[in-house]
Amino acid sequence: MIFRAIRELREAGVLGMNGRNAAFILASNDRSRYPSADDKVLTKRLALDHQVPTPPLYHVVEHHGDIAGFEEGLQAHPEFVLKPARGSRGNGIVLIKDRTPAGFVKQSGGVIPKAEFAYHISGILSGIYSLGGQEDKAIFEALIHPDPVFAAVTHVGVPDVRIIVYRGVPVMGMVRLPTKDSDGKANLHQGAIGAGIEIESGTTLTAVHRSRVITHHPDTGNPVSGIQVPHWGKMLLMAARAFEMTGLGYLGIDMIIDKDRGPLLLELNARPGLAIQLANRTGLRERLEKVQKAPPKVLDKPETRVSWALETFRIKEV
Amino acid sequence: MKRSVIIFAVILFFIPVSVISYRVFVLHYPFFPVAFGKIWHVSMEARWAAKEKNIDIEMGLPANYGGRRVMGERITSGALDFNFFYEEQNRYGLWSGSVDSGEKGSISYHASVLVPSRKPPEKPPALEPYPKGIVEEKRALAERLTAGWKRLSPPERLRAVANAASGEWRPTPPAPADLQEWTALQQEHGPRVSFLILLRAADLSARIVEGLFLDDTIAQGFHSWLEVWTGKKWESLSLETGKIYAHPSKLLPLVIGGYPPFLTAGGSLSEMRWTISQRMQDYWRLHFEHVRGSSRLLDRLSLFHLPAEFQQAFRILLLVPIAALIITILRNVVGFPTFGIFMPVLMALAFRNTGLYYGLGIFTGIMLLGYLLRLGMDKLQLLLVPRLSMILTFVILALAFAALVGSKFDMKGIMAVGLLPIVILTMTIERFFILIEEAGLREAVRTVLGSAAVASISYWIINQEPIQFIFYFYPELLFGVAGIQLLLGRYTGFRLSEIFRFRELRRPS
Repeated sequence: MIFRAIRELREAGVLGMNGRNAAFILASNDRSRYPSADDKVLTKRLALDHQVPTPPLYHVVEHHGDIAGFEEGLQAHPEFVLKPARGSRGNGIVLIKDRTPAGFVKQSGGVIPKAEFAYHISGILSGIYSLGGQEDKAIFEALIHPDPVFAAVTHVGVPDVRIIVYRGVPVMGMVRLPTKDSDGKANLHQGAIGAGIEIESGTTLTAVHRSRVITHHPDTGNPVSGIQVPHWGKMLLMAARAFEMTGLGYLGIDMIIDKDRGPLLLELNARPGLAIQLANRTGLRERLEKVQKAPPKVLDKPETRVSWALETFRIKEV
Repeated sequence: MKRSVIIFAVILFFIPVSVISYRVFVLHYPFFPVAFGKIWHVSMEARWAAKEKNIDIEMGLPANYGGRRVMGERITSGALDFNFFYEEQNRYGLWSGSVDSGEKGSISYHASVLVPSRKPPEKPPALEPYPKGIVEEKRALAERLTAGWKRLSPPERLRAVANAASGEWRPTPPAPADLQEWTALQQEHGPRVSFLILLRAADLSARIVEGLFLDDTIAQGFHSWLEVWTGKKWESLSLETGKIYAHPSKLLPLVIGGYPPFLTAGGSLSEMRWTISQRMQDYWRLHFEHVRGSSRLLDRLSLFHLPAEFQQAFRILLLVPIAALIITILRNVVGFPTFGIFMPVLMALAFRNTGLYYGLGIFTGIMLLGYLLRLGMDKLQLLLVPRLSMILTFVILALAFAALVGSKFDMKGIMAVGLLPIVILTMTIERFFILIEEAGLREAVRTVLGSAAVASISYWIINQEPIQFIFYFYPELLFGVAGIQLLLGRYTGFRLSEIFRFRELRRPS
């Protein structure tokens, strides 16, 4: 029975954890290049060099001595986001929409007095939010106003788009929609749902919620499929460029869609999860192996990689 | 799989195969160095007092019989002479000598006996005659009583006799007159003899055995029981209840066949004491002697040459890679989550002090306490190192408190936390907390359970004395373990848990 189940998974082209680690992450991601995905400041700088838009960076605080002067760097920006450069999963992030003489007004409404805000920055620098406990940098960047396209299937929080890129070829994508269960975070482990994206048209398919395929958002009750992802073609191109940016062969690219600025690169992940297969109801290994057999000329430029991917991975009408 | 990996693995497997072959075929090591069984140390001490000019003391002693092996015998006889003599399968010690009337002295006997967990097959015995003094009509009565059982198999017949001995006649009770007669016979000859009569009438060979009950104990005399042949082996039964002993390997026969366990002539024996204890060291010593005396290179490289106080640690240490191997399998093949590799192994090592159940209890308690503490501290937003130090401090305080409670209720397991890897546990608390934050309570609890399961399995393995012994004896086996680890390092197939996780994607062919 077990052997049959394993054969069925293999035939479906599913990628398992061991296969991902050994055949793709270990084989294509050079350890020395990890910082370009882990350090958000570095990611931003590289993105800038490769014409990949990111939320504009306003200011960086690297040392405790610089905390006192942080406001000067933000003079021109009434609203901004403060986040740790190495933080993950949204910990330590503060969204500021305005400021008053009393302090900073959070997007959720509360006011943080300036002294407390400085203390928070100091915490980030000391590494409270970096999981390894190393010293960190505090980043100030533009506040995102999410495009309302996913409003019907978002309970709270900001949805984002994840695209898996192998050797620069976008192979699979999904929209991650926060739920009540995930506490507004766009993280599938925490209970967010992931809706697959048909790669040629950029419309959503069914979704996965805690390893189960679903058709409707668990909180809003609206169908998750058939939503046209705006700027899809541009996002594929941004994802494809992340390969030249980082040199990482196997990468998850997380993007967010701002209603004014369009798609922005949020962060890179050198060990993207496997649940995207359930969101798309398609095995990853099948597609990754096609990339391995792709004609070398295709892999030269981001544009040719994207058009090859559209041709190869589109869901053919039956 | 990569060719270089396979070649490397083959080399790793080749090392133990060749070294062990050399040891077995050239150095004549035992192929399987472990004796399956337990070693018991038995020692007897007694005082004698002579009443005549000569004294003889005969006593049944352990013999190399029924798979048992007697090692390291030491006998003291004082003023007396000592000899062994044999009668059938029994071995006796005879202390004898010319003494003055009224003289007193003491004798002793010490030996280690290896009792196999499985007995070797034995020849079927001949049917013994009825006990002495049983007249024809009593035999006829017993035949009538057992007539209904003749077609049963020997074990079933034995059960029927045993039930009858305790008053339950099945399937059909005998005629009331016979039963009355039987009760009278039981009163005349006593339960032992009547039991034997009934067994004989049911065509079952039986014999009375005098010996020792193996338990860490001190016995004032001998223990007697009954052995009945049930077609393949001797079954041991209690003489008092007729019940079959569940653990016959706990019985050490000394005198078989209904003879007295000891006899004295010309004097008396008093204050006899048998001290019985289980020995762990003796296998080790057995091989130690062999290896120490050898000048061969491999023997001189043996771990048996380490000073005794370090040997114990290495016995355990050599098994840690196996525990790590188990963890690799559970994580990468089964897909069970654990907190790293070292935590479960260290837990398993710590459980050696506390015992498994207390160990798991303490582990659960600490995780819970640590979690609550960490939850409370989260609001304070402390930096990593001071935060961990603080949790550590409270964990140790809690352990000290638990030890006090343990001493109050005399629970040694709770107090014996000395080796508990508290620092690692503290890190685990931290990771547990992060995991709850990141992946949710379900995943975190799954990881805790996975770690506990792996720790328990590892604990079980490193406490298997035969496995400890084989690896201590043949440490080159570790190369083989490394070979398996190497192959697992290139296992890129599915984890068993992924069959479930990706069940929606399975494509039946």
